[in-house]
Amino acid sequence: MSSTKPTIKVRTKDVIAIHWFNAFFWLTLVLTGFGIISGDFVRLAPAFWPTFLQNLLGGNANLVLLHGIGGMVWAGVIGVYALLNFKRVVLPFLKNVLVLTPKAAIADVSSMVITLAHLFGLLKHKSVPPQGRYNGAQRLLGTMIIACSLAIAVTGMYLFLSPMLLDFAGSAGVLGGVFRWALVIHLAAVLLVLLGLVAHIYFAVVEEPESLETMKSGEAEVAFIKHHNPLWYAELEREGKV
Amino acid sequence: MVAKYVMLADTTRCINCKACEVACRAEWDTPLGYSRDWVKEVEYVNAKGLPEVQLFPGRCQHCDDPPCVEVCPSGASWKRDDGIVLVDHAICSGCELCVPACPYEARWLNPVTNTISKCTFCQPRIDKGLQPACVETCVGRALIFGDANDPNSEVSQLLKAKEWQKLVTDEVNIGPNHYYYTAGKAIPDTVMPKLNERHLSGTLMENIVNPLGTLGIGGMMAVFLGAGIKKLIDRRQDVSNKEVSHEQH
Repeated sequence: MSSTKPTIKVRTKDVIAIHWFNAFFWLTLVLTGFGIISGDFVRLAPAFWPTFLQNLLGGNANLVLLHGIGGMVWAGVIGVYALLNFKRVVLPFLKNVLVLTPKAAIADVSSMVITLAHLFGLLKHKSVPPQGRYNGAQRLLGTMIIACSLAIAVTGMYLFLSPMLLDFAGSAGVLGGVFRWALVIHLAAVLLVLLGLVAHIYFAVVEEPESLETMKSGEAEVAFIKHHNPLWYAELEREGKV
Repeated sequence: MVAKYVMLADTTRCINCKACEVACRAEWDTPLGYSRDWVKEVEYVNAKGLPEVQLFPGRCQHCDDPPCVEVCPSGASWKRDDGIVLVDHAICSGCELCVPACPYEARWLNPVTNTISKCTFCQPRIDKGLQPACVETCVGRALIFGDANDPNSEVSQLLKAKEWQKLVTDEVNIGPNHYYYTAGKAIPDTVMPKLNERHLSGTLMENIVNPLGTLGIGGMMAVFLGAGIKKLIDRRQDVSNKEVSHEQH
């Protein structure tokens, strides 16, 4: 970090590595996934993209294989990492980020609306309620990403493996029906996450580049935490870390 | 010029011998109870009050705007430049989204391969310069196949010489490339294509998930682009204000 302001280590190298691993695989899988879906009624990307990518990789079969294997590597690595670091990383993260009650959801939505309004100079009289380690928008996004990632991993595996391993024709249409619904869920979950990622990337790059810096070095400025996350700062104070 | 393959069926020459079906099933080794082509027999009482039978040899119509290709999520259903609609079995998952999309009911899930089967105009044969198996075998010469873009081909000559009809309705007109000669008789409704009820999952993806997703992501991008622009303007304003106050001091 180039700053000379006092900092505190808030992220370990493995957490940073898994974040960027996740980001890289998301980018790759979204690009390849949008390249697979070809039919005019169902594709999301402009027509040139599937054509370009399928030609580049020598056909859609190769693209499907790449996407499927990539997806399993993504789900596998994150799954194994989560299992191995459940107590140290996953549980504290889930405690901080999961929005499980309607009351918490309402509070987070309210805080997110105020944050977004402030971007456009609106609701200036309303201040964002004091935030913990994650703000309302981050908690809502985190909850959505966790739920959607699980859905994407499960449906993705079914989409990739079931045509190879299961007898669709012999199931009276049941397995094919599951495949079709898996496709809808897979797509909807990806779109939901992408929706949130637009905001996530904007805030990291434009509004709070300090957060991006933290996701590179693991260090966060104490003053930044005190200003943006007073509840977290108080927690760190109690723990004697600042 | 690229070829445009079409199939002509002269219903006045068809005798319902099923030789075309047998040839097709032998050529493609289709499972028992399944066939890529068929002959539909329509019985009715004509204007004179007499019973009459019309025979309609049928198969995939290799449409200009094939809905089966449009709904296929993996691109396994695709259309060649010469108009032949094919299925790439290497990537067909057998999800059957294309089955109800076809108004001619020409597609089915093959229980042996677990992929979608349909008539391909015997593409491997025609690529070798041969005729499709059904045409080769038709004892009454009711089926004629060829390149409609070649003015000297038999199909081109026949299309000019006779009054041919296509199986299209006001509801379903997707440019089939299969023509029927009925000697002026109207084609019965039972032979005409019908819009099938699509799978709910496919309809949901097409009409709700995709539009909402596109709109949502586009909207989010627009919102944050606006926020970014506003931030730039505010920064510029701050800099200007600081410069003004600096000059005043």
